[in-house]
Amino acid sequence: MPDLFSCLMKEEWRMHSTMFGSISFALFPVMIFGIVFMGSFLLPLLSVAFPAGDLAFLAHASFLLLGFMVGGFGLLGNEMMNRRFGQASLLVYSSRNLPLSERFIFTNFVVKDIVYYFFLWVLPFGGGYIAASPFLGIPLSRALLLLLTLSLSFLLGLCVVFLLSSLYVRSKTACFLAVIVPGIAGGVYSAWSGTNPALLFPPYLLYSGFSWMTFLGISIAIAALFTASVVLFSPEGTGSTRTYGRMLGRLAKVLSFLPQSPIVAKDFLDLSRSGIGIGQALFSFLIPLVVIWFFLSLLESSLPPHGLIVIFSLTTGIIASTIYTWVTEFDSFGPYSCLPLSVSTLIAGKMTTFLLLQALPAVFIGAVTGMSSGPEMVAPAVVLCISISVYAASVMAFLCGLFPGVLVYDVRVLFTYLVLDGVALAILAAISFASSLYAFLSVFLLVPAYLFSRAAGARWDARDTAGV
Amino acid sequence: MAAVIETHGLSKVYGDVTALDSVSLSVEEGALFGLLGPNGSGKTTMIKVLTGQVRPTGGYATVLGLDAEKEGIRVRERVGIIPEQESPPSFLTAMEYLEFVGAVRKIPDIAERAEKWFDILEFRDKKDVLCKDLSRGTRQKLMFAQAFIHEPVLALIDEPLINLDPLMQDVVKEFLIDYVRKKNTIFLSTHILEVAEEICSGFAILHRGKLLHAGSVADVTAGGGHLPGFFLSLVRKGGHA
Repeated sequence: MPDLFSCLMKEEWRMHSTMFGSISFALFPVMIFGIVFMGSFLLPLLSVAFPAGDLAFLAHASFLLLGFMVGGFGLLGNEMMNRRFGQASLLVYSSRNLPLSERFIFTNFVVKDIVYYFFLWVLPFGGGYIAASPFLGIPLSRALLLLLTLSLSFLLGLCVVFLLSSLYVRSKTACFLAVIVPGIAGGVYSAWSGTNPALLFPPYLLYSGFSWMTFLGISIAIAALFTASVVLFSPEGTGSTRTYGRMLGRLAKVLSFLPQSPIVAKDFLDLSRSGIGIGQALFSFLIPLVVIWFFLSLLESSLPPHGLIVIFSLTTGIIASTIYTWVTEFDSFGPYSCLPLSVSTLIAGKMTTFLLLQALPAVFIGAVTGMSSGPEMVAPAVVLCISISVYAASVMAFLCGLFPGVLVYDVRVLFTYLVLDGVALAILAAISFASSLYAFLSVFLLVPAYLFSRAAGARWDARDTAGV
Repeated sequence: MAAVIETHGLSKVYGDVTALDSVSLSVEEGALFGLLGPNGSGKTTMIKVLTGQVRPTGGYATVLGLDAEKEGIRVRERVGIIPEQESPPSFLTAMEYLEFVGAVRKIPDIAERAEKWFDILEFRDKKDVLCKDLSRGTRQKLMFAQAFIHEPVLALIDEPLINLDPLMQDVVKEFLIDYVRKKNTIFLSTHILEVAEEICSGFAILHRGKLLHAGSVADVTAGGGHLPGFFLSLVRKGGHA
């Protein structure tokens, strides 16, 4: 086990670092540490607008979301890893030629993800806060407790997604029920007691009032989720041969009004046949956003009128922008390199697919807004959400080309992305708080979005296409 | 005969690795030209540079009169390519992949052409199977079909016989010989020397990115010599140079 584990760790490191150099990647946790360290000094200012408990609540929600994202990326992406890295042979497939069982490798893979992303994200975040705590008069024990409870939030998110993805491969109905039943139970409880179920999020409860019993209970729950995901794990699609009729041509014909319709048609078939489309929609979009809604709704009293739906629209927009990652993650340029296609054509095709898939966040945010804030807020919320999503995806295409899921760990890329998106988010949040009608001004973001998309093509065409 | 491929002092350096070192080469129209060399000698890089997938760091190359670096897309419009490693997209069927190629290359009768290739390479029974579920040999057949489906005047093919059974290798060899008879040109990269001797008219040997020799196969075999022996002696000498 230790040998396989250390090899998996090295492999994960090299998959990231070979794309943009070890130093840029190694600086990633340093940057997270620096941002949190400096950001901690804003806490006294922020606490004027938000109670400290609300900020802690947001931090726990963020780490739960991080766990969802890391888990979703790790397990839904077997196929995409091979596509992205060409003929790369990954250790996760080594049961084919080594006397190791799939389950043994899977266990190591999950543990590797936990440890690797703990050091990449969780520890630098907690470390930054701990380092700043003496200057802010925060007791060290409180800062250490936050590190512990954020780690537990991350682990809960990760293990829940691992369990769901294990269920998903075995039985889609079981997976569906595992999402829906707790969702309905939470909704019923919320309606019956008038309490937001997010308030019962165990790591936050532990942070609010530490007790060894609660800590033990959470640890047992995480261990149970982890064990269940390993026990239920079954290798995907072994030995089966799938056949289909000629759908590509028909789909391309239906979409012929679009530029690059064959690429768009191929993307939709990829999403549908690989299961990535449904899996990502569930694990990387709907579940995280439903959870975030419950968490954000606790901040409503601290926000201006319509502030909650403005924040939620912007959050949904940012998460919707990662749909660009879904449509690029199962492709590299390699299979296209023997055809008269440029990288810019491929990026344009992916952006077109991305734009069509914006129907999903548009319907989602429209429905949530209609139910929570009334019909008059639906149009501003949808425009705000889709504008920020298209803008953020265009920035991503410019910075990362066809590799957003990998290059985002390049510290220079992430910093630029955060600045470009952060400025837009801050301005839009401020003006939309003032009046919901100002949310319509977000359509002006489509101008820089268009320019970033154009520039993305030129930028990535100027690089060697082989191996891209 | 006009040259369809010309390189002048062509070089490609990746970091501290020199993949191509000032290679000057000419391939005439109608040739079945073999690019030979040991593993890592620069054969695949040569094909990538000629098809505009990789930019040279020195010198230049023209393919069908087009600048390979600046007009890579136009080069790829006119030629057929079988890459060494790439597989067809996982979640399209074999038929759909050829339809996709037809859509990109704007071939109107792609379905009829695809049906012809399923027969030539004997994989009609696999045409509706997802590419990820195809055997390596069948994927290779599919990549072969996509390279020739638009009947290019020049095809650049990297190890085309790899993964094919002996019967299918024979079919492919016959096809290639027949293809150049129709005044088309094949630029074939391989390290199977017996095949090169059997079917190629001209050849070049690359070793550590340098061009060691270029000439006709007939000149080597005229005095009872054999290409494998010629190759081994030259590369061993070159290896110690």
